[in-house]
Formats: sequence, structure tokens, C-alpha cells
Amino acid sequence: MTIDAVYLLQLTLNGITLGLLYALIAVGLSLIFGVMEIINFAHGELLMLGAFAMAFALPVTGLLYWPALAAAILATMLAGLVIYELLLARLKPDEFERSILITLGLSIIIIHAMQYIFTATPRLVDTQYGFDGVDIGAIRIPWTRVIGAGAALVAFGGLYAMLRYTQFGRAMRAIAQNREAALMVGIRPRVVARNAVILAAGLCGLAGAAISPIQLVTPYMGQFLIFKAFALVIIGGLGNIPGAIVAAVALGLVENWIGGFFEIAWQEAAVFVIMIAVLFLRPDGLFKRGGMRVG
Amino acid sequence: MKLAVALVAALAFAALPLLTNSNYIMGIGVSALIFTVAAAALNLIYGYTGLLSFAQLGFWGIGGYASALTVVTFGGTFWWGLVWAAVINAAVALVVGYPTLRTNRHAFVIVTLTFALLVTMIARDWVDLTRGALGIPNLPPPVAFGYEFGTTGRFYWIAWAFSVAMLAFLYALCTSRIGRTLVAIKQNEPLVRAQGISPMPYKLASFALSAAITGAAGGVYSFHLGIIDPLFLDFYFMQTFLIIVIIGGAGSFWGVVVSGIALSALPEVLRFSADFRMIIYGLILVVVMFVMPSGVAGWLRERRLTRLREQLR
Repeated sequence: MTIDAVYLLQLTLNGITLGLLYALIAVGLSLIFGVMEIINFAHGELLMLGAFAMAFALPVTGLLYWPALAAAILATMLAGLVIYELLLARLKPDEFERSILITLGLSIIIIHAMQYIFTATPRLVDTQYGFDGVDIGAIRIPWTRVIGAGAALVAFGGLYAMLRYTQFGRAMRAIAQNREAALMVGIRPRVVARNAVILAAGLCGLAGAAISPIQLVTPYMGQFLIFKAFALVIIGGLGNIPGAIVAAVALGLVENWIGGFFEIAWQEAAVFVIMIAVLFLRPDGLFKRGGMRVG
Repeated sequence: MKLAVALVAALAFAALPLLTNSNYIMGIGVSALIFTVAAAALNLIYGYTGLLSFAQLGFWGIGGYASALTVVTFGGTFWWGLVWAAVINAAVALVVGYPTLRTNRHAFVIVTLTFALLVTMIARDWVDLTRGALGIPNLPPPVAFGYEFGTTGRFYWIAWAFSVAMLAFLYALCTSRIGRTLVAIKQNEPLVRAQGISPMPYKLASFALSAAITGAAGGVYSFHLGIIDPLFLDFYFMQTFLIIVIIGGAGSFWGVVVSGIALSALPEVLRFSADFRMIIYGLILVVVMFVMPSGVAGWLRERRLTRLREQLR
């Protein structure tokens, strides 16, 4: 088999954009796990809500990309706040199985309610950019993908700065590193947890809104992505944010390379095989859990 | 006392084909029996050992495909199909379980979840083996000593015998010393270690047994349907097993058996649209987790204990 350089570069660029979008989801899961020691099963549904919000906001804004993106992020942050106040706030830390079952129930409710209201018909989302793209040599990448990847990078930069330099972010890291000591210096876990959930929801909404012009929007779109995000969180180390990002981008690349040269079944199986291999070699994930350190 | 009631109930269930000629009712009966077995297997790993496993869905699917392929592709009998379903699943459970159980229970939950998804994707994409989305239709009815279990009424006997045997085995296991060790692992693993018992073999064995039983149940169910396709791995089945265990009471053997029979009949009574039914399932799951986290059986036990305390006062 000869490997065409252009084809390989195309696969690589696609892999990076896909990986960055995976990373947005996985980072949110890691953030919530770091602060609350629970897993939000309904995280994929937040992504789906973000995509639907984008799909509804675009016609209103006259297909303008950025206002619709902002509206979608705000909508999912609001959804995150509601989910936290209604359900997650009642959980104690380390009620892990209970958190999964409760958010699983929530995910079932959201998916089927959306399907009941908007039917399962896939929606095609059109933006001001349409199918225009940027040309690099023989390769063409649609603007929507470039912007999605760029927005993800900006979001990671912002998240890093926030966790490292603001009081808001320091409180989150403090809770993740040592709950009792954080309580002693007067940090309120409830407020921090709420902020973390809203922040994670916002990242997820960004991912959903950025994916919606690339993929078809259906009520089930979150489920496929969330399983991968779970695996990424394990591979990167539970609660480890940089680990989740690295694992996500790597997975995006590996999946695209495998998908380009082998049968599609291998592309889907890759994430699981990698996860089992990582658990064999390093049971705590590739990047050992460090109580949510940044840098 | 409980055993006498269970024996009477089992015999009453055996009499169902004598009471009715309706294929519809007997079909519900077959589903109820098989779902109860699968839920009891989930109860073994989640309720007793304390490990929440979403892999049951994958085992259910592997079992269904293994037995269907044994008959259709490899020309074996239905009975050998069930044996293969159990053996393959036990082996897969050991391979997936060993690296996963070395970590923590958080990782276990997530790995099993991804495993279930992986099996779904393989069922859909490995077309050479599973025939992809078309599935394998027209599974022939099982035959034993020249007797063909061709109708739902006759197939009911297989489902009945299978579930009674499996539930009896699980009951014997859960009430034995092994069952008590599993509960001890769930409640306090360091203490179990301190007693000189290594938890790992117990966890692995419980995971493998639960996988084997779920797989065989999936095998029986696929022949009840007469067709197997990737829809056999719909997440709906996992949700059903989970809700049966949680409402019945994780860790309570009879609670799960009773709720298995009751909840399998419930969707037939509540004939809503599929979406509406799932919304109700989700609501039940959320509400039960908040109101009675240990299920109906746990709630009844709590109530009995409070009454006893009041009498003592």
C-alpha cells in the first residue's frame, strides 16, 4: 500500500479537529470528577442540547455563526445550572454509582423528551460559511471545522488561565486537591461544585455547537460521543485535565488514520483496545491523577 | 418459608401454558422469565459484589450472537449454542475484568460501559461474521430427542426450566459462604483483606459467572425472538435490567426476582408510545434513587427495623 502524503495530511488535520472537540467533552467530565468525584452520564445530552440550540439559534440570527454560538453556550450553561441545582447538589462526594444511575435516568429523560418533541429526523445545520473552506495546497478544510478547532483551543487557553490565575479557579483546584483543607480556609464546596458544573456544561455546549455544522444533529448524537469521552477520561487519568486533552487529540488522530486505511469497525474498536492496554500498563491512566493540577 | 413460596410460584409459572392458549401472554411470560435471570445476574455483580457493570448489555449481545451463530453458521445445536454463549462470555469477562478490577470501582464502571458500546459497534460493523444491520433471521426452533420446541407455548418450557435452574443456582451461590464474602467485599474491602481473603478472585469469579449467565439468557432470548440483529444490543435492555435491580433492591435476591417478574409485565400493561415509556423509566430511575436508594426490599427492611425499635422503646 502506498501512502499518499496529501491524503495522510488530510487525515491528520481532520484528526486534530475531531480530537479537539472530543477534548472539550472529556475536559468537562474531568472537571466535574475532580471537584465532585462523580461522573455525569448526561454530559453527552448537554452536547446534544448545545447542538440543538445552535440549530435553532442560527435561523434567528440570520445564519450568523458567532451570536448563535454564544446563545448555544449560554443555553447549555443554564441547563447545567438547572441539572446541578435539581439533582447533583443532593449528592454527597464519592456517591459514584448513585451519581451515574441518577444522571443515566436524566439522560434517558432528555433524549426521549427531545425525540418526542422534535422527532428523530436528523437535521442539517447551515451557517453563514456554508461549505466554504480554506485551501492548503490540494487540501480543503471547511471553515466550520477550522473555527471549531480554534474555538476549542481558545477555550483551553481560557480554562488554563482561569484555573491558574483566578480565585474562582484556585478554589476549584483546592477542592479537588484537598477537600477538608479547602473547607478550613473557607471555600464553599457547593458554590465551587456549581461553578464547575456550569463551566463543564459551557464547554460541552461549545463542543455541541461547533459539531452541529459538521455532523447531523439528532437526539442520539451525544450518546456516541460520550462513551468515547468516558474512555478518554480513563486513558488520561480520572480528573486529570491536561491528560484528557492529550488523550483526546491522540484518539482523534489515531481514529482518522485507522479509518483512512482499514475497515470502519477497527476505527470504532480503537478506543476500547487502547483503554484496555493502558489499564494493563498503567492502571491509574497514562498521566497519574494529580488532584487537578494545571501546569 | 420463602423457599416454599418460591417453589409454589415456580410451579404456578410452569402451569401458565396449561391456563392460556394466547401466544401473546406466553411471550410476555418468556420475556419476564429471561429478564429476571439477566437482572439476577446483574444483582450478583452489582447488588452483592458492589461493582456496577454496564457490560451486561455486551454479554447479553455476545450470548445472543454466539448461540445464533453456533446454530446457523457452524451447524451446532441450540444446546451447544447456550454452552458456547456461557463459555465465551466467561472468557471475555476474565479478559476485560482482570486489568479493570486492578484499578478502582470508578474505572470499572466506565470500562464496562465502553465495552457495551464496543460490542454494539462490532455487531453492526463486523459484517462477515454478524451480517451487520440485516441480522440473522429465521433461527430454527430448538430440538431435543426429536421433539421440536416450535411454538411459543413449547418454547415457554425451555425458558421456564432455564430460569428456574439459573435462579436456583444464583440463590445457592448468594446464600453460601461465597455470597457472604462478596457482600463483605462490597461493604469493607480492607477488612476482607485483613481476614486473609484475597478479593480479586472473588470479584473476577462473580463477574465471569454473571457474564456467563447473562450470555446464556441472551442466547435463549434470541431464539425466542427467532432473529438477531444489532437492535438486540439496544441500550433499552440494559436500562430494563438496571431498573429491575434498583427497584427490587440491589443485594436482595427475592426483591429482584419479584420486581423482575412485575416490571417485565408492566410495559405491556402501560401501552404508551415508546418515547413516553422511556421517559417514565428515566423518571422512575431518578425518583427511586432519591426516595429509596436501596429499592423496595431495602425500604421494607428499614420499615421493619424502625417498627422493631419502637416496640423495644
